[in-house]
Amino acid sequence: MRLVIHDLESDYFEQRFSGQLSNWHVISPTTPIHHCLGCFGCWVKTPGACVIQDQYANLGELLALCQEVLIISRCCYGGFSPFVKNVLDRSIPYIHPFFVNKHGEMHHRRRYSNRSRLKVWFYGETTEHEKITALGLVQANAVNFWWEAAGVEFYGDPAEMEGRMP
Amino acid sequence: MRIALINGSPKRRGSASGCILQHLQPLLEQDGHATAAFSLHNPELAPQDAQGIGECDVLIFALPLYVDGLPSHLVSCLMQLEESLAGSGRRQTVYAIVNCGFYEGHQAKWALNILENWCHRTGLRWGYGIGLGAGGMLLSVENVPLGAGPTKSLAQALRQLASRVSQGAGGENMFTTMNFPKLLYKLAAEIGWCRSAKANGLKIRDLSKRRGADSRG
Repeated sequence: MRLVIHDLESDYFEQRFSGQLSNWHVISPTTPIHHCLGCFGCWVKTPGACVIQDQYANLGELLALCQEVLIISRCCYGGFSPFVKNVLDRSIPYIHPFFVNKHGEMHHRRRYSNRSRLKVWFYGETTEHEKITALGLVQANAVNFWWEAAGVEFYGDPAEMEGRMP
Repeated sequence: MRIALINGSPKRRGSASGCILQHLQPLLEQDGHATAAFSLHNPELAPQDAQGIGECDVLIFALPLYVDGLPSHLVSCLMQLEESLAGSGRRQTVYAIVNCGFYEGHQAKWALNILENWCHRTGLRWGYGIGLGAGGMLLSVENVPLGAGPTKSLAQALRQLASRVSQGAGGENMFTTMNFPKLLYKLAAEIGWCRSAKANGLKIRDLSKRRGADSRG
């Protein structure tokens, strides 16, 4: 499966990108999302699934099916927008609560065996410091989700992404 | 000075961030500062919180590390604070403590950078930040006097922070870890997950459950 997580207006995304992403599974802000409560129920109550009963409870299972993940996000202070970050926060059932050592650091063990390629496209006006932060953040995300970081790109405006779809 | 102690955890009760601020508050008050507590649990910033934070001279955030960054609800609150603080011209100084479930405090690096970038966008002054590793054990030692046993490094970091706040000083971000062996921390955490699973009527092997297409692996 190929998955795109984006925070663009739904009409805009449909008009500009849906034709190029016809075989992709799309996560968009059209469906309300509750923020992660830090309860760890996704690890110790319903392992592998979030306990919050909205449309985002199955993100762990969904990510287990992916070979490719594309994130399109407004760059907010060098990080993701609230919606995209919320999706990532709610995705921790994808990994296992136990720890492993990886490159001398503590990380969570993987729950699934797939290894997705992660591409991130940030848009919006971005300072050099924010770009450095964003590059480091995505690399860290790839380590913690056991993904392969496959590129980070910055665009001033989402329109610049047209025709760039993988 | 009037100092805002801002808890950025989504948890209403029993948060490690709240525990850190409880340790920090008396250190600031003994230096003669007034503190005001704010809890940003939700993505919507309450108007009275925006106003109260705007009236302080110094902002100190304590928050958990979520997926290498800030919890999403806090990003949302910061965007709202950017709007309410940007025009104030107060140029408050901001400090932050990010607690990591991982052992290494330096894994909070990018979260601290995000907060620093927020300061620049908002016209505030970035003091510095602390990345605290092994934060998962904070609640289990909350009754241990600050500075004793596993809280020694935390005490040093918080005392230095209180001192620098009083001086209006900044500095480089610092990274530290609770005074507890890494192997024991890992073991204690995993015993804790197993106990929680059992308390929820699960077997230990259920913690490794795979759902969907990969469920046979």
